Amino acid sequence: MAVDVKVVTYRDIFQYGAEKMGLHSEEYLRLSASIILDKGDMASLGIAEGGKVLLENELNRIVVNATASADKPHPGLAFMIKSPWSNQLEGDESCPAGASGFKGIQAQVSPSSEGITQMDEILQRLRA
Amino acid sequence: MTEFNYKTCTGCSLICEDILFPDAGSGSVSQARNLCRKGQAHYQALFSERTGPLVEGSEVSLDQAIERAAEILRNASAPVIYGWSNCTLEAQEVGLALAAKIGAFVDDPSSYCEGQLMERILSGKIPSCTLDDVRNFADTSIFWGSDPSSTQPRHLSRFSYFPRGEKRQKSYEEERTCIVVDVRESPTARLCPNTTYRVLPGEDLQFLEAILAVLEGKIPKFGDKKKMIELGSIIKKTEYGVIFPGPLMLVSLQDQMDRFEELLRRLNEITTFKVVPMTGQYNSRGYSQLLFDRTGRVKGVKFTASGEAAEAPSLVEAVKGADAILVLGSDPLLDLPLGLARSFAAAPIIAIDPRRSLTADVARVVIPSAISGLETGGTALRTDGVRVTFEPSMKTNQLADEQILTRIMEAI
Amino acid sequence: MVSAMEIYMLLPKTNCKKCGLPTCMAFAVGLLGREKKLEECTPLFEEKKYEAKLAKLKEIVAPLESASETGLVIHPEKCFGCGNCVIACPVNVAAEPTRVGAGLGPEGDRVILRVEDGVVVANNLQECKRFGPNKILCNACTATCPSKAIEFV
Repeated sequence: MAVDVKVVTYRDIFQYGAEKMGLHSEEYLRLSASIILDKGDMASLGIAEGGKVLLENELNRIVVNATASADKPHPGLAFMIKSPWSNQLEGDESCPAGASGFKGIQAQVSPSSEGITQMDEILQRLRA
Repeated sequence: MTEFNYKTCTGCSLICEDILFPDAGSGSVSQARNLCRKGQAHYQALFSERTGPLVEGSEVSLDQAIERAAEILRNASAPVIYGWSNCTLEAQEVGLALAAKIGAFVDDPSSYCEGQLMERILSGKIPSCTLDDVRNFADTSIFWGSDPSSTQPRHLSRFSYFPRGEKRQKSYEEERTCIVVDVRESPTARLCPNTTYRVLPGEDLQFLEAILAVLEGKIPKFGDKKKMIELGSIIKKTEYGVIFPGPLMLVSLQDQMDRFEELLRRLNEITTFKVVPMTGQYNSRGYSQLLFDRTGRVKGVKFTASGEAAEAPSLVEAVKGADAILVLGSDPLLDLPLGLARSFAAAPIIAIDPRRSLTADVARVVIPSAISGLETGGTALRTDGVRVTFEPSMKTNQLADEQILTRIMEAI
Repeated sequence: MVSAMEIYMLLPKTNCKKCGLPTCMAFAVGLLGREKKLEECTPLFEEKKYEAKLAKLKEIVAPLESASETGLVIHPEKCFGCGNCVIACPVNVAAEPTRVGAGLGPEGDRVILRVEDGVVVANNLQECKRFGPNKILCNACTATCPSKAIEFV
C-alpha cells in the first residue's frame, strides 16, 4: 500500500541549529530524517505518529520518521526540511538553492520496518 | 556591567550589528545578547569540529596544503570555483581575480533560481529599497514563498512588521499589514492568520494573475474570491508596499519572471511597491553584486584564458566536466540535490572551510580558514544591498579566506 | 495551555472538601489560577489508587508553578530568538524608545524581555502591565510569537 506525494522542502530553525552542532549528531538525524504527511494520507497507509516510512522514487529510496501535519488537510502533499535526506530524492533540474523544483520531489510513501537511513549511508551513496 | 562594544553576526543576510558579548575578552560567547537562535547556532560553529590542513586525508602543514592546492589548480583545464556567499567582499574580489587567472567557471548556491530575481534587482528592472526604508515607510509586507521567522528570524522585529519607523509610528498594531503567501502554515503565517494565502506548488502564476485581475476590478479566477478581493483592497490602500519573494515562489515563476515584472509595473502605477530579496548566506548579495559589476551576470560565469567572461555552461555541466573544484566556505554535498552532489564528490575538491563538513570529508585538499565575520573582519552586503563593515568578535590564528586565496594565487 | 476541565478529569471527583473548596471543579479552577496547590488535595497523595493520575497532574501543573505572578511562562526550547516579543512589549519600547522602538536589541537592564543566548528571558516582571493592582490584559508578547514559546497561563 503506497501513496504518491509531492514533497515540498522548507527551512527549519531548529534543524539549522542542530546542523551547526554536528552533522553526525542524533539531534540532526532526528530533525532531518523526517517527513510531515497529511493526516488522511497517514491514516490510509496505517502509519502511526512517529512511525517509519519508506520514500521511494526513480532516483532513490530513504527511510524516515513520519509526523502528522497540523495544517489544514493537504492530501498528496508532504513537507520535509531541506536536508541531505530530502536531497537524496531530488533531481538536478530542481533548484539547488533552497526549495524543491516546480515539478517538486515526487515520491511514493509506504510504511516501513527498516531502520532510518543514517548519515553515513548517505555519505557513502554520494561517494559511490 | 556591559560595555556597549557591539559585535556583528554573520549568521544570515540581515547581518545584525547589535550583538553584545559580556565575556568577549575571555573568548566566550555565553550570555550573548540579541543573538537570535540562528545566530547563536552560527556562533556555536566556533566550537564544533574545526578543520586542519589535509592532503589526501593526511595531516600536513598549512604551506604544504596551499602548495598542493595551487598545483591542482595550475594544472586544471576545467576548474570550478563554488561557494562564495560565506566570504567577505575582500575575499570574493581575490577569488574572482583567481578565477580570471585560471579560467574557472564560478557559481554560488543561490544563483540557480534566486539569481533571476537578483539580476533584475541589480539591473533596476525590478524596483527595490533598503530594509531601513521598509522599517520607516512600509505599511504592507508580503512574504511570498518565504518564511523569515525560520530563515532570517529578526526580519519582522527589526524591519518588516513590528518596529516603529519614521512614517510608521503605530507599527503593526495599526499601521502595518503582514501578508503571507505560502504552501503551508509556516511560523510566519501563524502571526497573521487572517492575511495568509495558501498557494500550492506551481500555482503562484495563477495567484499572480488573480492579483492583476482584482486590481482591474475583475473577478479573480483563482483562490477564494472574497479573500482575493480583500487582498486587492489592501493593495489599493497601501502607501508603500514591499514583496519579499522566497525560493518556492521564485522556482515556481522561474520561466515567468516577466509576469512578475509586469505585476510590479502595475502595482507601481497604483502606489509604491518594492521588492527586497531574501538571500541565504550572509554575503550572497555581495558576491552577486561583484559578479554583476564585473560581467553583467549573476548566474554561473566562465572565465576564459584572457580573463573575459564567456558563454557559460550550466552548473551541472561544469561540475561534471571539472578536473578541479575549489569550494569556498560551502558544503555542496550537504546542500545540493543527489546528482549534483555526486558530481561534486567525483571531482578533485579543494575545500577551504573553517568547519568539518561533508565536502571537506571527501576533499583531496582541506585548508582551514577563520570563520569570516566572527574571527576575521571585512565588508559584506546585507540582503538589501546595504554595506556593512565589521571587526572580528574573536581572535584566531587561522588565516582568513582572503589571505589563503592570495597565497594560492601567488603560488600558481 | 492546560484547561480546568483537563485538570478536573484527573482529580478524585469526590467533592470531599478536604482542600477547603466545595467541589473538585472549584479546586481545578483554583489550581489553574494558582490560588491552590496540588498538595492541598490530600487524597491524591494518600490513596494509592490515584498514583497514576497524580503523576500526570504533577506533569501538567509544573509549568503553572514556574509561572510568574503575571502568568508569564517561557518555553526556551520552542523559542526562535526572533525578538518579536522584545520589540512588541510596550514597557520595553517605553524604556528604550530609540533602540527597542526602532527594532534594535535593548542595551540596558530596565527591559522586561530580551534575547540572551538565542532565546528570550524575562526580568523585571514587576514592570509588566499585567502585574499589580492596576493590571491590564496586555498580550503583546504572546500575540507576536511565531512558536508559542511565550504564553500566559
